[in-house]
This record gives sequence, structure tokens and C-alpha cells, in this order.
Amino acid sequence: MKPLNLIAILLFVSGAVWALTRSERTVREIQCSYFSAIAPFLKSGSQTEAYARSFLDEVQHSKVLDAELATVNREMGRLRIVESRYRELERENARLCHALDFKTASTFNVATAQVIRRQPTTWWQTVEIDVGEERGIGTQLAVLSNEGLVGIVDRPAKDRSSVILLTDEACQVSAKVEDSPEVGILSGQRGQFEGTPLLRLKFLSKNATLRSGQRVFTTGRGGIFQANILLGTIVSVEKGAEDSEALVRPAVNFADLGTVFVVLAKDPPKK
Amino acid sequence: MTRYTLITVLLVLASFVVQQFLPALTALHHSRVLLVQLVFLCAAVTVGQPTMLLLAFVCGFLWDAQCTLGVHGGDPEIYNQPVESLRFGYSILLFGAMGFLMQGIQPLFKQGKWYFSALLSGIAILLYLAAEYLIITFARGGFTFAKATALQMAYTSLLTMLFSPLIFWMLFGIASICAHSINPEAAKKRRRHF
Repeated sequence: MKPLNLIAILLFVSGAVWALTRSERTVREIQCSYFSAIAPFLKSGSQTEAYARSFLDEVQHSKVLDAELATVNREMGRLRIVESRYRELERENARLCHALDFKTASTFNVATAQVIRRQPTTWWQTVEIDVGEERGIGTQLAVLSNEGLVGIVDRPAKDRSSVILLTDEACQVSAKVEDSPEVGILSGQRGQFEGTPLLRLKFLSKNATLRSGQRVFTTGRGGIFQANILLGTIVSVEKGAEDSEALVRPAVNFADLGTVFVVLAKDPPKK
Repeated sequence: MTRYTLITVLLVLASFVVQQFLPALTALHHSRVLLVQLVFLCAAVTVGQPTMLLLAFVCGFLWDAQCTLGVHGGDPEIYNQPVESLRFGYSILLFGAMGFLMQGIQPLFKQGKWYFSALLSGIAILLYLAAEYLIITFARGGFTFAKATALQMAYTSLLTMLFSPLIFWMLFGIASICAHSINPEAAKKRRRHF
């Protein structure tokens, strides 16, 4: 072997060992520098993508848009009625809580965000949203849609953040099943990309009596997610020797993510 | 030679930016074109071992900077079986291994048979994905290998391989601009022929 090649291999191995022994904090700093360096390209690329999308939207036939507008107007009217009813209930609830001297139920303080794009990773299920540290986004904040839990913030940058979706194996959520004492840990399944990926609710009791269609919510325990966020519905239950597991259909349509809400850390979850 | 190496490094860096905008094809089992890996593999066969290792380090380092997930966090009493995240830097070794694989058929490439390298780039990407999946499985436990995963790997390799002639064409163009021959034996043959 040529001496130059040998030196190159030694340098390569030392470099790899150096990288493999970096701490979590250093890795985050490296990632931060990397994304700051490519941020101008990402920004201009996203803008071009948005222009192209809006151009395609504009060339849609006007009749289709008219029909959509009519549907939206009808839906808006219906939602106004529903909203007024909710406001009434909210007022009634506040009155009752006050009367019973209950602690006022905390409300979520959220930042609205748009999903910019899916990230170019092979195995992880992540998306990028258009809000970052400038809007008070930090790591491990829950991300919701109007349907339920979407995921968790993994890496916030200045004006964008990366979110691990609930369908990823790495996103674990402490969950409970409605009308049942069962609690467990919900997470995505490895290598599930097809159609609507099912989630797995693990560590249920051995004789868990659950039925298809029961809803699954966050427990609020574990220090990350607030309580009572809808996660999905039970599809089936698999009984094991020591515990049971359930397959859960997520409440959120992950194939069509648009507007999401990041729960800001003002309302601390239960420990 | 130096100019060619420098431009190759720049090409690899540019591929990182372009990769950000290459979507997964839902119709083809969420497969995607792995441009960074492809540019690296095609470049690896055209350069010497030290340059290949430099490219492998740059690619692996930046790929992990782009893809590594943070730790889950949360109360360890509740999340007592955390999902292991992969160590930052493992891709450097994977890129290095792929680079050595490509260099194995460098003699054929130097004879002008670039299509063997194009074919091998597809195989190398398949091996890269399989190795990555196995590392994830090893780190997290619970071996599962769905048909959809196999198809995703196969389509990703195939799709990526289809673009390799384009990358080789670019590399030949860059070499010609830099007055550097990346397949000297084929060039000698051509000169003799004329």
C-alpha cells in the first residue's frame, strides 16, 4: 500500500472516530451551523416552490373555484353557529368552575405554522415548519393540527423548525384509552410509509379489554405533551405473554399536513 | 488534478442543497433519488483513494448533520424504554465502505467502461440502504423487514442508478474543463485509434 493511501486511511478513521464521539450538544451545534449555512438556499428554494404552487393554483378552472367558494361559505356559516354554541358552553363552564372554586383550566398558547416540506431523510418521518426560535419555538414542544397530535419539535432554527411526526418510531407519547384504565406508550412503527401508517400502543395490561374505535388521548405525563390531546382510535389489540399491544389509527392525516400549531411552553405539562 | 478535486467537492456540496428539494415518490413506495450518495459514488470511481476518503468524510459528516435526530427526552420514569438514536458520524463509515466498493472496479472505469460503474452505483446504494436499516435495527432492536421496506430500497436504488449516466457525463465535462483525464487508459486507446 502506498504511504499516502495509508496516511489517508488513518486520517479518515481518526476523523470518523472524532465524529462518533461528539456529545449531543456538539452535534446540535454542528447541525445548527450546517442549517444556517444552507438556509439561504432553502429559503430561496422554498419561495420558488411556493410561487410554482400558487401559479398552479391560479390556473385552476374558475368554476371549480366558485364551487369551492360556495362550499367554504356554507361550511363557514355552519361553523359560526357551532362556534357560538361553544362560546356559550365555555362561558357556562367558566362560571361553574369559578363557582366550584376549581383551578381555571389552562388553555394552550400556540404558534401557528405552515408545513414547508418533508425532509429528505430515508428512514425518519420528519417535516419542516416555517416558525423557529424567533417565535419562541424550542425543542420538544408538541405540534398539533385541528385533528390531533402531529409530532414533536426536534430541531428549531431561527425561522424554521424540524418536527418528528407521530408516525416515526422515535416519537413516543404517554397515552391513555378512553373509558378504560389502560395507559401505555404510543409510537410509530419502523418502515411504515404506505397509506395510513398505524401506530403501536405498547405496555398495556396483559388482559386489556379494549374494543375497536375507542379513542386514545395523551395522559399529560412524561413532561412533554399536554393532557387530553387526541392521538387516534384503536384498530385492534394483540395480546402477549406479559402485556398487550394495540394498533392505533392516527387521528391526523399525515399525507395532507398544512397548517399546524406548536404548543408553546407556557403551560407546563404534568410530571 | 487539484482543480478537478476541488470542483468535485463543490459538486458534492451542491448535491446537498439539491437533495433538500427532491421529494419522495409516494407512488413508488416512498422511494427517492439519493443524489448525494450518487454524486459521491460516481466521483469516488474517478479519483484516487485519498480524495475518495476526503469526499466520504465530507458526505458522511454533512449527511448526519442533516439527518440526525435529537434524543426524545421526557421523564425517564414514563419513557423508560427510549428509542435509541443513531450515533452522529456512522454515515462517514458507510460512505467510506461504498467508496472502497466503487474503487474496486476503477480499472474497468479507466478502460472507459463507465457503465459498469453506473451499474455498481445502484448496487452500492442498495447495500448502503440495507446496511443503514440493519444498523437502525441493531441499535433499536426488534427486527422487522416489511415488503414495503424492501420495495422502497429497491426502487430508491433503481431510481438513483438511472441518474448515474448524467452524473458521469457531468464529471467527464468537469475533467475536460480541468484538462484532467479520469480514464487515462481509454484516452490512450482513443489516441492510438486515431
